[in-house]
Amino acid sequence: MTTTSAADLLFEIGTEELPAAYLPGLIEQLEREAIVLFDSQHLPHGAIQAFGTPRRLTVVVKNLADVQQTPGTEIRGPSKQAAFDASGKPTPALHGFLRSQGGKLEQTTLVSSSKGEYVYFLKPPATTPTKTVLPALLPQLIGKLRSPKTMRWDASGVRFARPVRWLVALYGSVPIRCAYGRLNSGTKTTIGRPQQLHTVSVKSVDAYFRTLKGGRVVLDHRARRQAIEQTVTKTAKTFRGAIAPEMISHGLLDEVTYLVEEPAPLTGDFDPAYLVLPREVLLASMAKHQRVFAIEAGGKLLPRCIAILEGKPKQPALVRKIVQRILNARLADSLLFWQNDAKVPLDRRDLSGVTFHEKLGSMTDKSKRITQLSAALADAWSLKAEERKRLERACLLAKADLVTTLVREFPTLQGTMGKHYALSAGEPAEVAHAIEEHYLPLLGRMPKTLLGSALSVLDKYDTLAGYFSVGITPSGDQDPFGLRRAAQGIVEVGWAVHRPLPLQALFTAWQKLSKTGQGKAGLAQQIQTYLLERLYTFAWPTPVPSNDCIDAVVSLYQSRPCDDLIDVMERIRTLQQLSGRPAILKAAKVIERTRNILKGAADGSGDVDPDLLKEDPERQLWDVYRGNRDRVVKLIEERSYDRATQEFADLFYEPLHLFFDKVMVNDPDAALKRNRLALMRAIHTLYTDRIADLSKLTVLQQREEHS
Amino acid sequence: MQFQRLIRTLDAFWERHGCSIVQPYDMPMGAGTFHPATFFGALGPSPARTAYVQPSRRPTDGRYGENPLRMQRYYQYQVILKPTPDNVQQLYLDSLRACGLKLEDHDIRFVQDDWESPTLGAWGLGWEVWMDSLEVTQFTYFQQVGGLDLQHISCEITYGLERITMFAQDTPDVYAMAYGPGKTYGDLHLGPEREASAYNFDHADVVLHQQLFDRYEMDAMRLLQVGMLLPAYEQMLLCSHTFNMLDARGAISQSDRPRFVLRIRTLAKQCAEQYLERQQPPANDND
Repeated sequence: MTTTSAADLLFEIGTEELPAAYLPGLIEQLEREAIVLFDSQHLPHGAIQAFGTPRRLTVVVKNLADVQQTPGTEIRGPSKQAAFDASGKPTPALHGFLRSQGGKLEQTTLVSSSKGEYVYFLKPPATTPTKTVLPALLPQLIGKLRSPKTMRWDASGVRFARPVRWLVALYGSVPIRCAYGRLNSGTKTTIGRPQQLHTVSVKSVDAYFRTLKGGRVVLDHRARRQAIEQTVTKTAKTFRGAIAPEMISHGLLDEVTYLVEEPAPLTGDFDPAYLVLPREVLLASMAKHQRVFAIEAGGKLLPRCIAILEGKPKQPALVRKIVQRILNARLADSLLFWQNDAKVPLDRRDLSGVTFHEKLGSMTDKSKRITQLSAALADAWSLKAEERKRLERACLLAKADLVTTLVREFPTLQGTMGKHYALSAGEPAEVAHAIEEHYLPLLGRMPKTLLGSALSVLDKYDTLAGYFSVGITPSGDQDPFGLRRAAQGIVEVGWAVHRPLPLQALFTAWQKLSKTGQGKAGLAQQIQTYLLERLYTFAWPTPVPSNDCIDAVVSLYQSRPCDDLIDVMERIRTLQQLSGRPAILKAAKVIERTRNILKGAADGSGDVDPDLLKEDPERQLWDVYRGNRDRVVKLIEERSYDRATQEFADLFYEPLHLFFDKVMVNDPDAALKRNRLALMRAIHTLYTDRIADLSKLTVLQQREEHS
Repeated sequence: MQFQRLIRTLDAFWERHGCSIVQPYDMPMGAGTFHPATFFGALGPSPARTAYVQPSRRPTDGRYGENPLRMQRYYQYQVILKPTPDNVQQLYLDSLRACGLKLEDHDIRFVQDDWESPTLGAWGLGWEVWMDSLEVTQFTYFQQVGGLDLQHISCEITYGLERITMFAQDTPDVYAMAYGPGKTYGDLHLGPEREASAYNFDHADVVLHQQLFDRYEMDAMRLLQVGMLLPAYEQMLLCSHTFNMLDARGAISQSDRPRFVLRIRTLAKQCAEQYLERQQPPANDND
């Protein structure tokens, strides 16, 4: 065996400008796929790291062993009958197999299995110099990288996010020649601003990093992000300001990181007259049109911006003049839109031309539906008369900003512009905030106001019910109408405000308002089930309920309407909090034993007849039931589920044990049998009708497995 | 550099790089891509190198001559290169240098912008080219035209001529820019821009345009049936412009829009298919 040594490998994929949004994914894949590739190819290696800029994806493999050591394997060939003719001579089939494997007849053996005898090729262990393996491997790496959209650019037919224009492959200081499409790898990389590109030869992995650094390319995207953030912060400080936090939270910093490889800051001003525009409009215009950073001081925007250019221009003053000119022109456009939009109040906006969905009508129809639907939620939330009126108003105006010019220009400002236009038209602040908040939850932001939460739930419920009613439901990862997110939103907002979510009442009210929901059997159940399924992925506060706790409560609603989703969630939480305690185990045991006896029984309907209770243990059990039922029910109605569970366990565990010991439920006397089953059912349903079916808990299954 | 000189400079530059310099198509269209030289040029295997100016009419972009950057009619300079040269980005930058722009002084960026024309059933991947944060060019590698996958990829470069000239002249207002000897762009275009904006938004006869759309569409279908390819394509162009006019008059609701677009795209697709059928030699039965 050869003694191995190792060297670093560098592979650079040089491209025309890759989309900023694709780069994080491409870099992550390059690193992951390289690890998979070198591991699967029996090439020992050290750390693997990938980097990316708009014009290059680079992966570095530290200490890559200089020989590939493939272990010996056995490869199955044709069956004995197919491999040898009657005289025992190898057939063309065997020759073909050996040829394809590069093996010889002496390297085969016959192995018999249940399926008969087969020829096996005993492939010997092999050692191959890494540098002869790499040319075939490196292009495979490019082929593994996926992007949301790919393109062809020449007749070779290879596909990538943008054209690949050069490849650098160096193993230590040895150039590796590989081919991809019409390209051959070499040792020349390309650096410089797009208008001043030049190629540079690199002789080693170290020289590559030196060359890029000397060309001011910040190859490491993490370092680049940090450098940009620092330079913007530092520049902002010179104006006694700070970077507007939305520029980071809404992704501009990330985007800019992937738009340049030689970040160079440039400051600019705009006409302070535009500061009359809402902050969101200023930020959207700056971020979307020119990808420049806004600066604030004391929470107020300054009439300035910081652009991150690709390398230093020779005439910064010239660039500044133009950047400012464009920014002022864009803001002038926005100001004009803002002023024109404000001339038509939201309640005079016509949404009949804006389709919600072909089969579900226009946004006018949707607004009307949610306005009328609001009564059902307002009842459940016990809203005061004034709040109900405002909620209705907010429902009616929620979508009106969709036809304003500013929202058409900046679609992400939907809701936000609605708020501003509502305020400027003198609508109550609660109405304005509800309009803005009804698109939440989004990017980790939740509605903060009660009416915003209500409107958010109503809008999402109408969306969910509407699409389900015309047969559009999410499947797998296909969810083009965002229904999963809508359902999740309902649960999140409901939980956050912690007010009842009356699924049944909402559906009944919604069905009356909708043309598509009428007469659809099973629709209510379908929507309810979909919402309940969200509980499995809901971001619960700790302790996070285990799936069996969720099963135990959710399973009650397989064919039963749910009056309050939030109560369902409360019960799940209680089960989780009780888990591991004796009370829950004892209660579960009661539920399990009563369930088992009821499971096979056809009878057991009707009430318990006290006159038919013959034995002491059954009379005792009945006394416990009769004497405590109302108290347990009251605890449940007060939603003291933990206390109810404790009581239930304490009351029934022992008498039930005694009952099963001494009393034969399946008595030959049918009347006695029915009566005993009725007693079992009364105890069983006292808990399972109201809290949970504890027989779903895995704690029971584990015990059964052990016993 | 004056506007008319800039056009001549680009003509000369691309002529040196093997392009036929063709003339604007004499019909209204929303973009240079509608010019048959691009639409048909991008289809099929035959190499193509073509450059031309195309006045582009976008009725909804009119601002009555009040906006220094937006107009309902402006000029695109379009270059179509098939196959795409490997150094096409650098060629493009060289063409800007030829126009007298000192690129080192500026900030140039290729920012992702995946171009799509739903009416033409055409899309491609590429960029908008930024100069000091202003989009001056659309740069696209066509992947599909007329709803058909392209086997031979063309690169389409669409220059915003006014914007580039404004850079070259350092003028903030398009109407103040020098067009040719003694004339500004405004001298030649401001009056027509105002009047056309008013026509597009306020005066165009909606009922007439609705009828025209239907008639042009019917005629295109009839012509396609008798194999009159270019005449059918021209009726499709008229449909497309009529649709844009109706849009500017606010006569197309959000729900109508997809249907109109589909009707135009269906025509464009049939034109593309008929064109490709003609390109291919008849299949040899003996093979």
